[in-house]
Amino acid sequence: MRPQFFKVMSRIASISLFLAAAGLVTMTIIIGWQVWGRYILNDTPHWSERLSLVLMNWYILLAAAVGVREKFHLGLVLVRDSFGARVKWFAELITNLLIGGFGVVMVIYGSQIAISTWTHVIPTLGVPTSLFYLPFPVAGALIVVFSLEHIAGQFSQSSDQAERTGTDQ
Amino acid sequence: MILLILFGTFFVALVLGVPVAFALGLSSVATVFYMDLPPLIVVQRMASGMNVFALIAIPFFIYAGELMLHGEIADRLVRLANAAVGHVRGGLGVVNVVTSMLFGGISGSAVADASALGATLIPMMRKKGYDDDYSVNVTVTSATIGLTIPPSHNMIIYSIAAGGTVSVASLFLAGFIPGIVTGLCLMIAAYVIAVRRGYPSEAFPGFRYLLITFAAALPGMMTAIIIVGGVLSGVFTATESSSIAVIYALCVTVLVYRSLTWRKFVVATVNAVRTTAIVLLVIGMASAFGWLLALNQVPALLFDLLVGISSNPIVILLIINLILLFLGTFMDMSPLILITTPIFLPIVQKLGMDPVQFGIVLMINLGIGLVTPPVGSVLFVGCAVAKIRIEDTLKTIWPFYLALLLALVLVTYIPAVSMTLPNLFK
Repeated sequence: MRPQFFKVMSRIASISLFLAAAGLVTMTIIIGWQVWGRYILNDTPHWSERLSLVLMNWYILLAAAVGVREKFHLGLVLVRDSFGARVKWFAELITNLLIGGFGVVMVIYGSQIAISTWTHVIPTLGVPTSLFYLPFPVAGALIVVFSLEHIAGQFSQSSDQAERTGTDQ
Repeated sequence: MILLILFGTFFVALVLGVPVAFALGLSSVATVFYMDLPPLIVVQRMASGMNVFALIAIPFFIYAGELMLHGEIADRLVRLANAAVGHVRGGLGVVNVVTSMLFGGISGSAVADASALGATLIPMMRKKGYDDDYSVNVTVTSATIGLTIPPSHNMIIYSIAAGGTVSVASLFLAGFIPGIVTGLCLMIAAYVIAVRRGYPSEAFPGFRYLLITFAAALPGMMTAIIIVGGVLSGVFTATESSSIAVIYALCVTVLVYRSLTWRKFVVATVNAVRTTAIVLLVIGMASAFGWLLALNQVPALLFDLLVGISSNPIVILLIINLILLFLGTFMDMSPLILITTPIFLPIVQKLGMDPVQFGIVLMINLGIGLVTPPVGSVLFVGCAVAKIRIEDTLKTIWPFYLALLLALVLVTYIPAVSMTLPNLFK
C-alpha cells in the first residue's frame, strides 16, 4: 500500500478529531449561554439543550470513528495477545472485518433513517430530523475506511506502516 | 436459541479482541437478523439511546476533570493531604487515600485519578523508601473511591439506565458516606501494612502550613462543590452545573493557578472528546443490546433462575454481587452499568432494596472490576505510571481487595450506609 494512502487517512482522522473537540467547546458555550439566559436575562433559550444533543451526536460519532483508527475503544485483547503470531494476525483481521462490517450497517441503515426523516422537523430547532441521524452514516463510512486501512496495514506488514497506523496520534 | 446468538456472538467477538462497544452492536445485528426483524432497528435503538438530554452532562464532567488534571490541581491536593495526615504512621499511604477522596470528588474518574495522583505520589513515595508494589496498590484501589464520592458521571449513567426514575441528586447524596467508608477501610489496610513494613511518617508541618495548603487547593476543589452544590440545591440541573464547572475550571487553571497553557488546553479537550466518545458509543450500542435483552425477557428469566436457587435475600444479593464482580474482571464499568441495571434492578427492588442503594452497590462493585485482571484499566494505569509489572503488584494487593470487599458488603447489607443522607434531605 502506498504511504500516500496512510497519510490521507491520518489527515482525515485529525480533522475529525479537531471538529469533535470544537464541538465540545461549542457545546460548553451553548449550555453556558443557557445558564446565563435563565438566571441573568430571565429568558431561558429553549433550543439550547436540543441543539447540544444534535451537536453531541455529531462529535461523539466522529470521535468514535477516529477511535477505530487509534484503537482507543476498550476491549479484551489479553486473549488475542496470548495466541501465536499467525492466529493473532487472523484474529486481528476478523476484528477489523467485523468492525468494518458494523460500519457498513451504520451507513446503509443510518442513511435510510436519515432519508426517511428528511421531512420531519426537530421541535424548537426547525431543522430536519435527518440532521440528528446523518452522523450515523457519516461515522459509519469513516469506520469502514479506517478498518480497511488497518487491514491494508496488516497486509503490508513488511514495511513499518502497520505500526504507524495505530500509534501516530 | 435467540439468546445463544445474542450472548454467543458477543463473547466470541469479545475474545477475538473486538472492542466492547462493537461487540454489543454486532451481536445485536446478528440477533436482529436471526429474529427476522428489520436491521434498521439496531441503528434506531442506538440513536434513541443517545438521544437523551441527561447525557449532555457526561462530556462536561469528563471535560472538567481533564482540565483540572492538566491544570496541575493534583499537586496541590497532594500537598494538602500531606500536611493534614502525613504525620500518621505510614503517612504517605494514608495521604494517598485522602488525596484520592479529594481528587476523586473532582474528577469522578478512576482512571484519571490513578494517572494524575500516581504520577505525583508514586515517585514521592519511592523517594521516602516505600516499595513500588505498595504505592501502586494504594493508588489504584483508592482511585476507585472517586466513583462513589460525588460528582461521578457513572451515577448519571446509572440514573439513565434505571429509566430516569432515580434522581441524580439522591445518588450524589447517597455516595458520600459509602465513599468515606471505603476510604476508611483502605486507610486501615494501608496503615497496617505500612506499620508492618516499617514505613516512615512525616513531621507535622503545623496548622499555619495546613491552612496555606488548604487555601491553595480550595479553588480547585470548588469545581466539585459547584457541581454537587448546584445539583443538590436544585438551583441548577446536572447539565447546567457541570457546564458551569467546565467554565469555572477553565477560569481557575488559566487565571488563578496559571498552569493551563494553550497546548495543555488542546490536549485536555481532545482527551475529553476521546473519553466521551468511548463512553457514549458504548451507551448507544448497549441500548440496542439492552432492548433485545428486554424483548426476549431476560430479566424475568434470570429472576426465576435466582429465586429457584434461593429465596433468601442475603443469598440472592450475594449471587448478584458475585456475578457483577465476575463480569467486572473483564468488562468495563459503563457498559456493565447499562446492561446489568435493567436486569438486576427489578430483582433487588422486589427484595426491598432502594434503587439508590443499588446504584451505590454498583459503583463500588464495578469499581473493584477496574483494579482486577485480566482487564483492569485503573490497575494497568497505576502499573504503567510506576513502571512495574502487574504480577508484582498482584502478589501484595489482597489486603486492599479485602478492604474494598468489606466496603461492598457494608453497603450491600446495611441500607443506612447509603440511604441515611438521601432520607434526611427528602
